[in-house]
Amino acid sequence: MPDVLLSITGLAVAAGGVRLMERLNLEVSAGEMVALTGPSGCGKTSLLRAVAQLDDPAAGEVRFRGRLPHELGWPQFRRHVVFVHQRPVMLDATAGENLRHPLRHRAVQIPFPADHAAVLLRQVGLATDLLGQPARTLSIGQQQRVSLIRALLVDPEVMLLDEPSSALDDDSRQSVETLLRERCTHAGKAAVVVTHDRAQARRLCDRHVDLKPHLTAAGGGPRDG
Amino acid sequence: MADTPGGAISLSFADLAIAAALIVVAAVISLLMRLRLERQLALATVRTVVQLLMVGYVLKWVFDIEHVLLVLGVAGLMIAAAGHAAVQRVTRTFPGVLWRAFATLAFSGLITTVTVTAAIINVEPWYKPQYLIPLLGMVLGNGLTGVSLALDTLLERLTERRDEIELHLSLGATRWEAARDALADAVRRGMIPIINTMMVVGIVSLPGMMTGQILEGADPADAVRYQIMVMFMITAGTSVGCILAVLLAYRRLFTKHHQLNAALIRRRAPQ
Repeated sequence: MPDVLLSITGLAVAAGGVRLMERLNLEVSAGEMVALTGPSGCGKTSLLRAVAQLDDPAAGEVRFRGRLPHELGWPQFRRHVVFVHQRPVMLDATAGENLRHPLRHRAVQIPFPADHAAVLLRQVGLATDLLGQPARTLSIGQQQRVSLIRALLVDPEVMLLDEPSSALDDDSRQSVETLLRERCTHAGKAAVVVTHDRAQARRLCDRHVDLKPHLTAAGGGPRDG
Repeated sequence: MADTPGGAISLSFADLAIAAALIVVAAVISLLMRLRLERQLALATVRTVVQLLMVGYVLKWVFDIEHVLLVLGVAGLMIAAAGHAAVQRVTRTFPGVLWRAFATLAFSGLITTVTVTAAIINVEPWYKPQYLIPLLGMVLGNGLTGVSLALDTLLERLTERRDEIELHLSLGATRWEAARDALADAVRRGMIPIINTMMVVGIVSLPGMMTGQILEGADPADAVRYQIMVMFMITAGTSVGCILAVLLAYRRLFTKHHQLNAALIRRRAPQ
């Protein structure tokens, strides 16, 4: 019996009063990575925002381990189901402070794991002396990786990744993919990855859901993209 | 020009006409420098005279009748005008901002003013209009500046730092944790003018009320004590107003699902 972490039932999203997508049903189990692809403007980012409860969905529900957000409390829900923005958002502080800041939230409250952070940084090709630099002076590719590590340090069960390697060169992309894949396979975490890159979807993910605007989209079989 | 019983020199309309000559100097400068301010100066002069004469007659009527409902009615009008002015000064707005500004200024204005009349000056009755109305006017005048600055800053921060706020929310922050910096910035910004005034009061400027009392022939030491009380009252009123305005806006703009409803914030149409 699969350990279902995330259940999306009948989810519809809207933006500016326009329904972008109707009735998405999807279950994501521990150890699994699911890719969401689709044409620009079909509502992929809006969908991730609705799953992360940053916006209310137009219809449907999202559960984490069978529990609705209001049963867990929204901050607790988001602490377990973390959304990582496509365009990295850096606080006006050093890269190190950017990594530490979320760990102080009441729903997280874990001490900064300096050794683990250093390992993760090295894994994605970043030097630890970068932690002392103002985060906004880093290149966009470095910021994207810092953003990813920041989310990983919160230790979520499910990551909602919006184009996680859009600003990365081939080497960095590969190291990020390896890190994400290992985390899911070996630590029993899950990820939903929005990507426009179908090759990445096939390479990285176990399943692939092709979203079409205004159409019912359903979870497909393994690597059905 | 004649001495009043209290020792102050009373001004006649002829005296005011001479004072108006000072405005003529400004108008001549405007003409010579082609500033094109003459019409506005003339209009502003007429409005000043008409508005102040009218308010003088209204106040005399209110002071003579001294009825609690009448005093509260005048206070209500003052609060409504202050709330409207506070909202007019903000660059951005959101649905419901007007009643929130009214509620904020009504609460902060009345709570501080009535505390002063009832518990410090011990006026009998507590609503004695000679005290309540001018004191409320001072609290509201400063309070509306503080409230408009605080709201303006909050709405600017929530708009321009929306990504940062949503970053915090998406990593498990409560709405309070995500909004805290913006809320603190807004309250700080609203409080700065009154704190700056307190820093230089008596050094750079003599406040109007104290000057008025001294011109009325009051003992300067008495006038100073009154002014200190007034400064404290204004500061308390402004800080309560800023905090309340920011908290009411926060409750409107962040949902109970711990989301920022940024779509509610929109730029005000230019006046």
